[in-house]
Amino acid sequence: MHIGSIQLIEFRNYRTLSYTPSPRLNLLTGPNAQGKTNLLEALAFLLVGRSFRTSRLGDLARWGESSAAVSGELRRQDTSRTIRRTVRMLEDSRWQAAGESCPWARVIVFGWQDLSILTGMPAARRAFIDGVAGRIYPSHLPALGRYRQVLARRNLLLRTRPGEAALAPWDEQLAAVGTELIDRRRRATAMLQTELARIYPAVSGERHKTEIRYRTELGEATEPAALLAAIARVRRDEIRRGQSLVGPHRDDLVLELDGIDARVFGSRGQQRLLALSLRLAEVLPVREAAGTTPVLLLDDALSELDGTVRGHVLREIQTAEQVFLTAPEPLRVEGAARWDLRAGGLCAA
Amino acid sequence: MAYYPEPVARLIDALQRLPGIGPKTAQRLTFFLLKRPFDEVRELSEALVAVKERIVQCRTCFNVTDEDPCRICADPVRDTGLLCIVEEPNDMLAMERTGEFRGRYHVLGGALSPLDGIGPDDLKVRELLARLDAGRTREVILATNPNVEGEATALYLAKLLRPLGVRITRIARGLPVGGDLEYADQVTLSKALEGRREIG
Ligand SMILES: Nc1ncnc2c1ncn2[C@@H]1O[C@H](COP(=O)(O)OP(=O)(O)OP(=O)(O)O)[C@@H](O)[C@H]1O
Ligand SMILES: [Mg+2]
Ligand SMILES: [Zn+2]
Repeated sequence: MHIGSIQLIEFRNYRTLSYTPSPRLNLLTGPNAQGKTNLLEALAFLLVGRSFRTSRLGDLARWGESSAAVSGELRRQDTSRTIRRTVRMLEDSRWQAAGESCPWARVIVFGWQDLSILTGMPAARRAFIDGVAGRIYPSHLPALGRYRQVLARRNLLLRTRPGEAALAPWDEQLAAVGTELIDRRRRATAMLQTELARIYPAVSGERHKTEIRYRTELGEATEPAALLAAIARVRRDEIRRGQSLVGPHRDDLVLELDGIDARVFGSRGQQRLLALSLRLAEVLPVREAAGTTPVLLLDDALSELDGTVRGHVLREIQTAEQVFLTAPEPLRVEGAARWDLRAGGLCAA
Repeated sequence: MAYYPEPVARLIDALQRLPGIGPKTAQRLTFFLLKRPFDEVRELSEALVAVKERIVQCRTCFNVTDEDPCRICADPVRDTGLLCIVEEPNDMLAMERTGEFRGRYHVLGGALSPLDGIGPDDLKVRELLARLDAGRTREVILATNPNVEGEATALYLAKLLRPLGVRITRIARGLPVGGDLEYADQVTLSKALEGRREIG
């Protein structure tokens, strides 16, 4: 799929902007603080109605404005859809988003915050794999929401020193939904592994062996009964600490480069390249599941990479469909559309 | 700052205690009522009192009713072997509207909810056991809401009732996720009832 055109009104530092991107690679360049990331954010907002860097809707409207709008045309094969989304401030100062959504729109975003997949806490890796699983399996995020509800209630209940019978219905729900989540995360991880094994050597230009694994207390088990049994084993501890101690909310991803933990020992450049490769590894599984190639938004994806690696990355990303790549300095790529951004305006470079 | 006359302030205050009504709406309703004809307002106030004076809980099923036992419990045509468990009287009305169910009901008065500190003792669970002890029930249909509290309640009851040897079923999850029975449309609800499955 690709974005045919987009219009911004009072979005971030843009007063109005009308932009007709290329259906293939778009290079967005310009000095710092001119609105490159803001434009990617607008593209993501058009596609899926959410920002990748904030959950505060009010941040999206230009300072001092009480509303913002993004509209545009999404195309897939021979269908096309016009989408318009707005955020606006209500009487009580809360912000509200509105607009129809497009069920086949998919976007994959890479930004500096993705370094936390390697350097961050386990929660960052769980958020990463849930995002991937959510784009592949539409029922994943609703199930995650339900899991969080069960977890919050079960934790409250644990603090009241409950008996077996009172805990049982929450244990059962935790095990049922939890196993469902673990199963989808595992399958998503396996898909990423296949792609990563191809992409990382291609972009690094070296024959590195990469590995991504899902790590859970449950080992290889795939039945709710296994999670129930694990819960039963830690019951005493859980009641003492008033907290649920096993389940997908405690799991993690292992990331290895040539058999060594890349979270601990990877160089800065390797970690950046691995994080980027993980995002690129998502393209094929999402395309197969959604029936359309996701739009790629790559924010400053070349920084901290050496010249050779940059060349490999530029070649790899052109195998996707529509790509937006930002960079602070001018870039030249054969066949790419180039745009220069200055203070909330844009012109073809 | 100007104060409202005492009767006005009193009504605003009373209306504000209703669910979903904030200070602004309470004011608007109060001034709306002030403008209405006397008879209409008297009718409303009498209706409010009557509902408290004349409505009681059915001592068999805990439905709200103006006679005890309620019409459903007293209806000789209804199947006494089939017992449908719901959270609130509203859920029962939703089931009745489908016109598909010809058994009887038991209203729990809520669902298990750690957030609200509601446990089995706060629901009509003991009363349910007593009813089942009488021995005429063949099947218990757990029709609590599909949200996590309703599901916990169904799982809890399924385990509790299993030793009694009655058939226990749960209405199908064709209901919108996180939805409430009260708002489910009749077709969805009939389907959910048809597609009920054994639980526990
Ligand atoms: N709601 C808003 N209203 C107006 N301006 C905003 C708003 N939010 C952010 N900005 C401004 O937009 C400017 C550009 O932000 P953006 O993150 O897009 O820059 P960038 O071009 O990606 O820069 P860099 O190369 O440093 O990443 C920021 O300096 C910020 O002050
Ligand atoms: Mg930026
Ligand atoms: Zn009754």
